[in-house]
Amino acid sequence: MYEAFGRFVRRRREELARERGGYSVRKMAAMLDIQPSYISKIEREEVKPPSEETIIRLAQVLEVDQDVLLALAGKVSADLRGIIVKRPQLFADLLRQIREAPDHAILRVAREIRDGKW
Amino acid sequence: MIELRADELVFAFPEVHPGAQATVNFQRTLRIPDDGQDYPLPPGLGRFPLRHVDDFGRAVPPPWLEHGGVLLPMYQAEALWLSFDGNYLDEHETDYPFALKIATGKINAVSGQPWRAGLHRRPQDYVVVPEQPWLDGYCVERGIIRQFVAMPLGAGYTAEEQVTGKAEFGGLQIMAIPMKREVFERRFPKIKPRRMIMRESSGDVQYCLSDFSMGLAPGGRMRQEISKDPFKLDDWDLAHASRCFVHICNSKDWQAITGERPPTEPPTAAAYTKAGMPWFDYYSEREAVAGSKVLAGLQSVATLGRKRRKKPLPENETMKVDRVINLRPVHLKGRVREYIC
Repeated sequence: MYEAFGRFVRRRREELARERGGYSVRKMAAMLDIQPSYISKIEREEVKPPSEETIIRLAQVLEVDQDVLLALAGKVSADLRGIIVKRPQLFADLLRQIREAPDHAILRVAREIRDGKW
Repeated sequence: MIELRADELVFAFPEVHPGAQATVNFQRTLRIPDDGQDYPLPPGLGRFPLRHVDDFGRAVPPPWLEHGGVLLPMYQAEALWLSFDGNYLDEHETDYPFALKIATGKINAVSGQPWRAGLHRRPQDYVVVPEQPWLDGYCVERGIIRQFVAMPLGAGYTAEEQVTGKAEFGGLQIMAIPMKREVFERRFPKIKPRRMIMRESSGDVQYCLSDFSMGLAPGGRMRQEISKDPFKLDDWDLAHASRCFVHICNSKDWQAITGERPPTEPPTAAAYTKAGMPWFDYYSEREAVAGSKVLAGLQSVATLGRKRRKKPLPENETMKVDRVINLRPVHLKGRVREYIC
């Protein structure tokens, strides 16, 4: 799991460095306000992935989906945990039911028309 | 819950009954002449495209996002009608009944009253599906409606502006209320299966909105009855209502918002008739509601245009309709007023 996370971060950083520059380990560490050596260790999979807060900032810097990056680190964001914990039975049941469903079926579940304030 | 499937609103209430489902789509159609004569029903020329407002958050006015719902494109002076379909349940031999409230600019299209919660009888402010297969306009007299015609919000033609003096909401508003489950099961008990019946599936401005939004205004007169509710008012399950705001944008703006081309303009009523294509009449045995005095007092687009020395409706000449197909309720399931090229 951690290997996937470290490899992904490195690949994405190098991709951005090639495309637009300014994505050296040192510069990215400055953007995240953490030590360059820590970034190197994450990329080399020598340490566990960082905290949820750091992963979310990392996702912003790398311009990737934060939920995808959290999932690569074996984590679920606090807001998703909050949603499930609020109605555990309902969401546990829903997730088990749609576990094997194709993407289009899952998307349909999420496409309910929103009613607002008239 | 309401879903958008194939340009159709699907109102479903699985928490009430597994079969509690009704669909609404918006049919493109000809604009009938607004000349004081009564015309038969024009054809359906296919569904208007519908999209989630939330998908175009940066391109639509903020009030649209506040209202939620969907959007559709219309040309100025283009007409539409609403097509309703229930969910036929073989073992009950009926569609699951629904009450539908329809408003334009939050003015009820059946009663002429401003939008309010609940269902009302005096006067009735909703239609019942499957009894009512469609709605083409404002109920102005018993058996007569004035066609829904798109006009820019803020120009003074819409029903909303004529009733309230404000150009605030525009668009269309729909609320669906299913029949209570216990009432449905008592009124339509399960029957023993006798034989297989093959049926087609039914599933398939105060806001500065004026520059952008369209509203609906009363157009020409058409023969159409709005059926009285054959059930009790208490039969409807108001605890499980769902509603949807349908925003209408000018077809010219549709592409800027969605990146999609709008549908082509429909033919004129005269061109359609000249080509020998049919119009429709529909008779049912049901008693019809009386028209709304408020709605009867609205001025049609052509009448208002004459007063203002403007011509808001191009190609509005009186015409003679020769070919009319009479429909009965038995004809309707899965085949409704559709002109197939």
